[in-house]
Amino acid sequence: MKFPYGPAPLAILIIAVLTGIALAVWGPLSHAPDYRPPDLVLATFVPEQAEVYHNAIPEFEKQNNCKIEIELVDQNALQSRLQSALQVGADVPDMVELMYGTMGVFTKGPLEDVGLVDLTDKIKASGLYDRLVTNRLSKWSSRGHVFALPHDVHPVLLCYRRDLMEQLGIDINKLTTWEEFSRVGREVVKKTMRPDGVPEHYMIDMQSDGNDTLILLLLQHGVGLFDAAGNVTFDSPAALDVVCWYVKQVEGPTRISFPCGEGQNFAKAMIDGLCLFYFCPDWRANRIELEIPSLSGKLALMPMPAWEPGGLRTSTWGGAGLAFTKQCRNFDLAWKLAMYLYYDRAQLGPRYAVTHILPPLKSAWDLPQLSESSPFYSNQSLGKVYSAMAPFVPEEHDFAYNTIANGKLSEAFTNASYYYKVHGEDGLREYARAELKRCADHVRLVMARNVFLKPQPAQVSEASGK
Amino acid sequence: MNSLQIFVLVLAALFILLLPFSRTIAFKYGRFVLLLFVGTVMLMPFVWLICSAFKSTDAMSQYSFLPPVSKISSETINLGNFHTLLAPESTVQGPVTFWRYLTNSLFLASTLTIVSLFFSSLGGYALAKHRFAGRNLFMIYMLASMTIPGVVLLAPNFAVIWRLGWMDTYKALIVPGAVGAFGIFLFRQAMLSVPNELIEAARIDGCSEFRIYLQLIMPLVRPMSGAFCLISFMGAWNAFLAPNIFLQSQSKLTLPVVLNQYMGTYVQHYGVFLAGTLLAMIPPAILFFSLQKEFISGLTSGAVKQ
Amino acid sequence: MSESSIAKRAPIGWRLRSRSTPYVFLFPYVAINLVFFLLPLIYATVLAFYQTNGPARRAYVGWSNFTFVLKDADFHKALWNTTIFAIFSIGLQLPLSLGLAMLLNAKNDRFKGIFRLAIFAPNLVGQVFVGVIFSVLFTPRYGLFNRGLQALTGWGLEQQWLGDSKLVMPAIIIAAMWMYVGFNMIYFLAALQNVDQNLIEAAKIDGAGPGNIFLNVIVPAIAPVATFVVVTSTIGSYQLFELPYNMLKNNGGGYGPSNSGLTIVGYLYQNAFTNGDLGTGAAVGWLLTFIILIISLVQIRIVGSVGSEI
Repeated sequence: MKFPYGPAPLAILIIAVLTGIALAVWGPLSHAPDYRPPDLVLATFVPEQAEVYHNAIPEFEKQNNCKIEIELVDQNALQSRLQSALQVGADVPDMVELMYGTMGVFTKGPLEDVGLVDLTDKIKASGLYDRLVTNRLSKWSSRGHVFALPHDVHPVLLCYRRDLMEQLGIDINKLTTWEEFSRVGREVVKKTMRPDGVPEHYMIDMQSDGNDTLILLLLQHGVGLFDAAGNVTFDSPAALDVVCWYVKQVEGPTRISFPCGEGQNFAKAMIDGLCLFYFCPDWRANRIELEIPSLSGKLALMPMPAWEPGGLRTSTWGGAGLAFTKQCRNFDLAWKLAMYLYYDRAQLGPRYAVTHILPPLKSAWDLPQLSESSPFYSNQSLGKVYSAMAPFVPEEHDFAYNTIANGKLSEAFTNASYYYKVHGEDGLREYARAELKRCADHVRLVMARNVFLKPQPAQVSEASGK
Repeated sequence: MNSLQIFVLVLAALFILLLPFSRTIAFKYGRFVLLLFVGTVMLMPFVWLICSAFKSTDAMSQYSFLPPVSKISSETINLGNFHTLLAPESTVQGPVTFWRYLTNSLFLASTLTIVSLFFSSLGGYALAKHRFAGRNLFMIYMLASMTIPGVVLLAPNFAVIWRLGWMDTYKALIVPGAVGAFGIFLFRQAMLSVPNELIEAARIDGCSEFRIYLQLIMPLVRPMSGAFCLISFMGAWNAFLAPNIFLQSQSKLTLPVVLNQYMGTYVQHYGVFLAGTLLAMIPPAILFFSLQKEFISGLTSGAVKQ
Repeated sequence: MSESSIAKRAPIGWRLRSRSTPYVFLFPYVAINLVFFLLPLIYATVLAFYQTNGPARRAYVGWSNFTFVLKDADFHKALWNTTIFAIFSIGLQLPLSLGLAMLLNAKNDRFKGIFRLAIFAPNLVGQVFVGVIFSVLFTPRYGLFNRGLQALTGWGLEQQWLGDSKLVMPAIIIAAMWMYVGFNMIYFLAALQNVDQNLIEAAKIDGAGPGNIFLNVIVPAIAPVATFVVVTSTIGSYQLFELPYNMLKNNGGGYGPSNSGLTIVGYLYQNAFTNGDLGTGAAVGWLLTFIILIISLVQIRIVGSVGSEI
């Protein structure tokens, strides 16, 4: 008898049956003979970290006679799964590594409703406050309560094409303020202008629509999207200064920057020396080394210029934190595991060798792995240059309305930069101030809709004093 | 003026020169040039993909496509990305290789396709050839259900899957996708064209309704089955959102989810990702070639009749 | 409808048996729809009138989620962007698909299969690749699209397609054209095969020009398919989310500078997941459904005749 659906569906049916059999024979790997259900599940969104943990786990399991499972989940999936699960009260992993900017969603209600364990007292009792870069805890706090352990510090330096500096006659030691940096930048652009009206070199890689690079500059200047109490602050005078400066670097006759983007085109821009300087936290330094091996020996790192002479010469960009869900089956074991993976000197050396991400544990900064010199970065020791800036990274506050604030800041910025393109400097400041105010007010309006946070303002300011 | 612009002008001039001689030849030539242009534009990303999959990290960052002939060597062009891709990964469930993910993907896509082919055509038959109370209302409900964006239902659906205890199982992906409004409509359209006299004759011969569906109707709408299989297989093969959320064990993941892991937040292994994308294109491409004829004539029999 | 005549003529036993048949045959759809669509939908509908925070806490807020969304400038922008996108996909992409289908409908062409595959090829790859490829295509100075444009027209090398709020929507429209033109072309190709060649020959003998043949012979023959494609494309366009989100990962966190690439579903996602406000998300979902239903019904009405056939 002929298959009534035709030959192609028959072929697909055969594939279905064959692969079904293959999977059955292969066996559901999760139930191998020596399989034992895990005592703890830790979910992470960073493949390299999952790999490091995999290697570190067996020893911990032996020491504590337990079974730990590391789950690698795509960041977006982890976030939607966690949010959906916490919304409906479904099962969640015992421990979760969260990406920066994503914790706020869980802390937008009353503190007792947060689905993550409040770690404040535990951190105080264990003396971690003094052993870690304290500012780093702000990122994982809400109203003075800490809900996750920082995985990293991510200080920002500038990565530059060392070989081109001499060629273009730039003395990096003089680039101590942004004002001077911009002035030199304008010279470079002018000096290397091609006949077709575009320069051979730009000074720095900056996103033309604000976002991450604008925010890290805001943080360097002491303002973020929010303050510790969760108030919108991106329309403050300090923020206005940064926005007005930034606009002039990406638009009009004063432009010194180029948005190099990501991936292959970023690599090409770097190889061509299209931009001379790049904002470079530790994770990016590692990524550049992996993605663009041909630049070996041509790059080096230096502190960021400051906003005023003697000012802060670093900032922070990105990060992950380890949170414990309230459903965690064995908090003590989980805490032990966190201490083992995050703040155990013996583990941090091998971890650094793989990820090149500086740990927030200050006593780990003298580990031999961290002081190794890197031929790729002109024999500088990455561990040393980053840890030199690490104690000074600015505080950064996470909030549920991060993304929307980010989008609104970018909107105000984009409008200001369009204004500058059309009208020049006249009235730019007033215009930018009005736009920032309008956009910040929008975020305030959205936040005011949150019925769960309303009765709490007094408690908020008190808690933030810590 | 650069060489490309001159080339385009020459092509256009040729068309104008051909016109006075023979309109047919001129139009044939024009059609070919136009298709060649569109085809090139469409395929450009795939040319890039193929070149990139075989390049070393260094060559990847330096050249958009292939390096110049003088630079081609095993240093720049090699199978390194494929070696990394095919090497077993150690997971809590033991070592897992690319072939396991491929099998998972094939199993899910083909099972989903077959199951939804059966249920959709069954439902389509009921709507096309049976009158029953509330049929029109039912059709409007189906149309309306197609307009609700899936994201709205993400959180509630998660709750349902979790309550059923289906997290980290293929059931969570196969059962909700087993039959949908789109498929039922497609088959309904196709089956409207089957003459009622045939069905009536079969009924008088004593065939059961299911036998009529299986042995009379389905062979008649066979081309539509092919078309539907291609659409459904393609959808299931590239599905990312649902498997990403509902599957947890590394050994159960599908290709799109695993390939996405190479594009991490901090480190992105473009070469390996692109090599995997290239391999993952092969099964649906084979399906497209083998179904092309059925697909095209299939839609004809369904959509055109009214 | 001719089915009724069968029912009348068929023997009584068959009528009884076939009476339960449609319910049995449609049961799987109904059951699955109930559990995985209607139930979640009811839950989402209830949510639209609440603000929630975790499983334990919810507060009834009446219509405030709806009124907030209707007044929100971002929603207006999302509605505008999505409508522009829908207009371009119906007005530009579908005619292009039809044009390509007509070019590829020729007989005796050895290259037909290859061209068809070339144009259909974007359907073979997943969304993640699409995100990667468009960041390679659309960057200033190095982007392949920018370089191609520069070589052809002498303009476009330094354009920041994804970083300039005025160029984001054009970039999305171009990307969507690449993605979907092949899929729609296949529908038209199928429809064109149903055009009666004898009619075309007859029209030619009567001295009709190509425009005339197109309007009087081809258009009527493909009208039902065209309606189907227009309606499904409209629904698809208004549900646009993944493509811009993947393209704009590095620009405005997926929504473009100054939200210039924000779509309605993007706005929904932003509210429901990044802000964690499922209630407002559900309200947006309902508004969107309302918009799509109105437009679809108007479209079906305009094209007339088709009615419940689609």
